[in-house]
Amino acid sequence: MLDRNGPVADSAALDGFWLPSLAGQLETRDRAFGPDHVPMRVPVLTPHTLRELLVELKRTGREVLATRSVREILTSIENVAGRIASSKDLLHDELVATLPGLTGYSEQMIAVGLERMSEGWTARALREGLEGEFGALDVLDAFQARQTGGYQRAFGPELTVHIFSGNIPGVAVSSLVRSLCVKSPSFGKTAAGEPYFAVCFARALAEDDEELARCLAVSYWPGGSEDLEAIAFSEAGAVIAYGSDESIGSIACRVPPGVRFLGYPNRVGAALLARGMLNSEATGELARGIALDVVNFDQQGCVSPHVVYVERGGQVSALEFAQQIATHLDELSRDIPRGMMSPGESTLIHQLRAQAEVRGATVLASQPGTEWSVIVEERLEFDASPLNRVIQIRAVERLGDALAALAVVGRRLQTVAIAATERELETLAVELGAIGATRIVPVGQAAWPSPHWHHDGRFQFMDLVRFTDLER
Amino acid sequence: MEGYEQLRLEIETLIGRPIRPPIEDDKFQQLALSVFRHQFENNLPYRRYCERRDRTPDSVQRWRDIPAVPTAAFKEAALICGDPAEAEIVFRTSGTSQGPERRGQHYVRDLRLYETSALKNFQAHVLPDGARLRAIILALPDRLAPDSSLTWMLEKVRVHFGAAGSDYFVDQAGLRLVPLLAELAASETGERPLVLLGTAAAFLHLLEALKQRNRRFSLPAGSRLMETGGFKGQGRAIPRDEFYEMLGVHLGLSQFYCVAEYGMTEMCSQFYDNVLRERALGRSPEQRYKVVPPWVQTQVVDAETLEVLPAGQVGVLRHFDLANLDSVMAIQTDDLGIAGADGFEILGRATGSELRGCSIAMDQWLTAQR
Repeated sequence: MLDRNGPVADSAALDGFWLPSLAGQLETRDRAFGPDHVPMRVPVLTPHTLRELLVELKRTGREVLATRSVREILTSIENVAGRIASSKDLLHDELVATLPGLTGYSEQMIAVGLERMSEGWTARALREGLEGEFGALDVLDAFQARQTGGYQRAFGPELTVHIFSGNIPGVAVSSLVRSLCVKSPSFGKTAAGEPYFAVCFARALAEDDEELARCLAVSYWPGGSEDLEAIAFSEAGAVIAYGSDESIGSIACRVPPGVRFLGYPNRVGAALLARGMLNSEATGELARGIALDVVNFDQQGCVSPHVVYVERGGQVSALEFAQQIATHLDELSRDIPRGMMSPGESTLIHQLRAQAEVRGATVLASQPGTEWSVIVEERLEFDASPLNRVIQIRAVERLGDALAALAVVGRRLQTVAIAATERELETLAVELGAIGATRIVPVGQAAWPSPHWHHDGRFQFMDLVRFTDLER
Repeated sequence: MEGYEQLRLEIETLIGRPIRPPIEDDKFQQLALSVFRHQFENNLPYRRYCERRDRTPDSVQRWRDIPAVPTAAFKEAALICGDPAEAEIVFRTSGTSQGPERRGQHYVRDLRLYETSALKNFQAHVLPDGARLRAIILALPDRLAPDSSLTWMLEKVRVHFGAAGSDYFVDQAGLRLVPLLAELAASETGERPLVLLGTAAAFLHLLEALKQRNRRFSLPAGSRLMETGGFKGQGRAIPRDEFYEMLGVHLGLSQFYCVAEYGMTEMCSQFYDNVLRERALGRSPEQRYKVVPPWVQTQVVDAETLEVLPAGQVGVLRHFDLANLDSVMAIQTDDLGIAGADGFEILGRATGSELRGCSIAMDQWLTAQR
């Protein structure tokens, strides 16, 4: 009951891996994943088989990717992205049918997520992203003349090892896609919280472009299997890891020197509303925007807001604005129901609501359950939300006061949604950027970063590659 | 005030009755509704909490409908009847990572009911045979932990039930292993049984030291142990069964003589395992569960809707403790449990490890920054 992921015995299990080089010679065991205890076959990998697999993957990568242009790769990726987005495709259906039980998200949330995330995997979006960072795609295909003289070519890692986290379905696919774009074969280690999307992506890619799909391997092992990770890291040219600070810290220590490491740890978001925007015409849209930012992926993402700072003195008070947000959260809880809750998650919200109430806050909340909560108070500190649609509204005298509170969050600050005049926005953007924020967006768009965003402030592709300069 | 004193005496009388059979629901109802009226009238933050829920002594007819306050509320307000400055003592939850400003505080106006409840329940479940034993205490003494309710209780137990030579074996530096081992060795050769009292974490520490030294004691027959709390702060946690097995191997204690206590800072009453009390009645209980004393009612509620669950379903524990006369009787915990025919089993905290999301460690981290 308390352990979501235990052993199971069920022959109708899903295949929780994509290991084409080991087809037919793989030992597996069944294991239950997610709040629905979905049975899934996972490989029993020994350090020896893993090393062989990775060596083979690198060989395949060299052979296949050297013969492909980036454009060809993008086209194959786009074909799968189209299927994921299309509600008439079996792949889309399978994801909508399986991911809710595996992740706890509602079917509606998964469907919205598939549509929005696959927008970033179209050939156009990927091409524009690559061009934005490299100037032109050709530098990944052949040596190109440099303006400063000589030639250069960008090479992706001979192998990228990805350690995924389970909070947002689709992030794993984006990670694999980016590596393919720079012609790096990839091994993806899935998370217990979302063990399936990357597998489905690779399998679908094989139906369209079998050769390219052989440049991917996806598998699961329990977190902290350091013997397997040691093999994976020693074979890798780059390691990309998503997860808690603790797990990122642990992985960072174990990646050998010389292997590129990109860690994506815990991050949080906030929102700022200037008093000038709080007039009665605009607030309805803004309240709906905040509600959407809270609803999307139930605040599990690093881009989701935890606290909304509202500047006093507008036509609409912080409390009235909070009431509007509450109304939208209530409506949205029917359109996009919140995901399944563990007893701990529900309990935390009930406890936090009471704590805030006794402290003097106004608590607007669903009853009797915890579907949504809006906590309004005159308090400056940034408190992390217990997530699952709990938003804290804080009235401040000036938005500058909020900046001081956000400075404490510092480099953990990911996305800040802002409603302000152009002039205020310019000032706030400078200050937030200096504090550590990596993304500033209009209210309502927090959950859906542009395909070209600098995730955690970094390049999407450029950080993966190595340049070779040719001087003549 | 006369009515108050009478109410207090009635509760004290109830606590004085045998642990079983349980009290008739009518009697509990009558006392609980009186306590609710008293708390509604005198405990201002609690009154506001009830009023926001439209629950008043006039509208509430059944004890089950009395609003239960989540324990986290004790972090923010002095939930006491009357002036907080008049509290005889303020118990605080242990600091952990939350920092001093976030500790739960239980203002206790009058320690008499607390003491009566604690001693009666301890005696019934740890000393059901009326034994008077030397107490070996594996917890901080009260001068080192003046606001710990556990320490306060253990000191009362030592004074009331401990034979000569009862002592504490933990200080700021941790377990005082050398004198403790000497004490255990001396007891082994004598015939006077011991009662070991303390935190599960301290006992685990002792067991690991004994394992390392390959030392096994065989304590005199009738020796027993009461442990409480989780394995917080300990490098590892082990399943309860394994823990009791190790106690058997290294101290020679039968599982029937290992009693787990479950208490909380916010409550004047505690819960104990049934095993030793039943053993004293000549039974060999097959199931270990927590006994609800007659002056307490415990419900298991759905974590999401807070609706009462039938026996056998896992939910969150909610207690109604008449001994909390001057603070809040109805407490919504964050402990997971499952109700049985005659008590409940506790399954651990309902918060923490299973949380998902990008910000699991954030609150802790942010608090550390302040």
